[in-house]
Amino acid sequence: MKVLVAMSGGVDSSVATGLLIEDGHDVVGATLKLWGGASDSGCCSVADVDDARRVAQMLGIDHHVFNYTEEFERHVVAPFVAGHAAGQSPNPCIECNRHIKFDLLFERAARLGFDAVATGHHAQVVARDGQHFLVRGADDQKDQSYVLGYLREEQLAVLLLPIGAMQKSEVRLHAERLGLRTWDKPDSQDVCFIEASKGREVFLRGRIDVTAAEIVDRLTGEVLGETQAAELMTIGQRRGVLPGRDGEKRYVAKVDLAAQRVEVGRLDEILITTIHLDEPSLTFSHDVVADATVVLAQWSAHGRPQLATLHHDHGNRRRWWLQLHAPARPVAPGQSVVLYRASEPEIVEGAAIVTSS
Amino acid sequence: MTNQYYFDHAASAPRRDEVADAMAPWQHGVVGNPSGSHRAAREARRAVEEARDEIAHFVGAKPGGVIFTAGGTESCHLAVTGVANHHRRHHVTTSIVLSRVEHTAIIDAVEMMVRDHPSVTARYVEVDGDGVLDLESLKSALNADTAVVSVMTANNETGVLQPLDGVSSMVKDSELVAALTHTDAVAAAPWLDLAEVTASIDMISICAHKIGGPVSSGALILRSDVLLDAVVPGGGQERGRRGGTVDVAAAVGLATAVRLIASERREVSARVTNYQQKLLSAFAQLPGCAITAPGANRLPGTVHVTFEGLASDELLFLLDQAGVCAAAASSCSSGAAVASHVLAAMDMAPQRARGSLRFSMGAETNDGDVEALMVILSSVVERLRGES
Repeated sequence: MKVLVAMSGGVDSSVATGLLIEDGHDVVGATLKLWGGASDSGCCSVADVDDARRVAQMLGIDHHVFNYTEEFERHVVAPFVAGHAAGQSPNPCIECNRHIKFDLLFERAARLGFDAVATGHHAQVVARDGQHFLVRGADDQKDQSYVLGYLREEQLAVLLLPIGAMQKSEVRLHAERLGLRTWDKPDSQDVCFIEASKGREVFLRGRIDVTAAEIVDRLTGEVLGETQAAELMTIGQRRGVLPGRDGEKRYVAKVDLAAQRVEVGRLDEILITTIHLDEPSLTFSHDVVADATVVLAQWSAHGRPQLATLHHDHGNRRRWWLQLHAPARPVAPGQSVVLYRASEPEIVEGAAIVTSS
Repeated sequence: MTNQYYFDHAASAPRRDEVADAMAPWQHGVVGNPSGSHRAAREARRAVEEARDEIAHFVGAKPGGVIFTAGGTESCHLAVTGVANHHRRHHVTTSIVLSRVEHTAIIDAVEMMVRDHPSVTARYVEVDGDGVLDLESLKSALNADTAVVSVMTANNETGVLQPLDGVSSMVKDSELVAALTHTDAVAAAPWLDLAEVTASIDMISICAHKIGGPVSSGALILRSDVLLDAVVPGGGQERGRRGGTVDVAAAVGLATAVRLIASERREVSARVTNYQQKLLSAFAQLPGCAITAPGANRLPGTVHVTFEGLASDELLFLLDQAGVCAAAASSCSSGAAVASHVLAAMDMAPQRARGSLRFSMGAETNDGDVEALMVILSSVVERLRGES
């Protein structure tokens, strides 16, 4: 098969490339140039492109750099900024996978005559009865099925994930065996277009006026502290919020940018049982899941999946929501929730963006 | 094995055998340091000075004005920062005037000066829709504190020629302005008689690997008495204007390349102009193809076009698969095609600029290359249009 492999310069995609070549495929490597500004690493830096190119040279395949900086700005960075400005907490990595890697790159690969696209994600594609299912990666710690949750059948049918069935330690052994220079490169952790030394706040301040706000106990009204950038407060999050005077931990319950007010509460005061989903974003890998289906819902990259019932009604306003079987911390609007099959908890059914919880 | 059709001379021209032969004696065994005093040094010095004479003759300057450098970027950098630094030590304010379509070798050098020195400012001169310098805009950019005016001889992306005589007469006729002029002639060197075209310009930058010579070899040629500070001081070489031992082989390689280019120019220009016409009329028939800067005088070797609705990345990928080496507008350090500041300065819509391609030719280009390119590009465009 002619395979286009997306090479980030990291160990996972490098090994994926090497294994595809060993399997006898006709492989071409491509690195996506996504971000033109300052960055540490992740998918975008010149150093990472250099690493990817050098790996391709060592493996003896052609390597190309595709420039998607404009599209990345439009589909990922601008919505990330706009989302924060609207008090939401979007996940830029998911948006990048959705719009850049699995829309634009797949379309381009088809135009350029490739039969399949491969990446180094820790997730698996399993074919069954003529259909292709996205399945969690074999390494629990590294599973990336969450960030691939929006893939549809037509994409899964041409997607290869060569390292998805491996533990990370096996991947590193392969890298060493293949003589790849990236074998001991640390995993990328942070958002690629935000410099770790500066953080989200500095990045956002460069683009929007951030909002100073009081942090208020939602029951007593007592002011517990203040924040210089309420846009960075994520609903359900404890980090960055001072505990109340009683020493008990507080969690963000509500961010009201207009009123310059962040409401916090004790865990038992803020728990939720319903998550509302954004219909236009709702994507199923295959058929639409029937009303009142029980699913496992996961709303962060390594969060614990929770049992929930997916509901929808087709009244004037089509609505979709998850009824959680057990109370949970609130989920920030803008985040993605990925739905796994309750009977086969490794299989992804679909994904959607949260509107409220 | 696919045939290779090389249409990227403007990025790097094929190395000439004559150049490699001339350089060979200076690349192994004893090669004296040209600054020394013994026989080996004298031999090396003699080769360097013969090369210097050749290069001076090429641009119609005196040998004493030739400064050997490690390429076009260094030559351009030395011209603008060398003069601006000298100027700013003697004046309260210093301005550097440059066109919006200069190579980043110039733009980045100027922006570095502005960043590092509060007394230095940059004034950009606009171009028209074809990328030709607007002389009215130049007039308003010139000032009593202008130290240097830098306008390229021809653009490296589009091949568009600039009105250098207009530039120098405007600078020299102004009683107010005492600025020096510099031209980046790197792209123009294979095609134009620089002695004639740059006759009125004070400083000229050239480089070897665009004309069949080695990389990391170039020269800044001073036509008049120019006061500039060395960027890299050191052992006082090149009359104190560029420290470091002169690379004999690189100097000999550059001189050999300019000699070849000058002797073949008439024949090569006639042949390649013919190819250019042929390609432009063939490409104009392709759907969505627009010829860049159709109204401007352009170098014979450059064919710059855009394809509406297509992406350079995809065009280049399929061309590469078919054996055609070409380029998009320009490349960044990662190797990705990036939006061209040259096309933006010409007010080209970003959507159109995204589908730009540059095919650049040279002495080695032949009928077979041109025929193959026409067939291959046509099928690549058809394929991308068919499936999009």
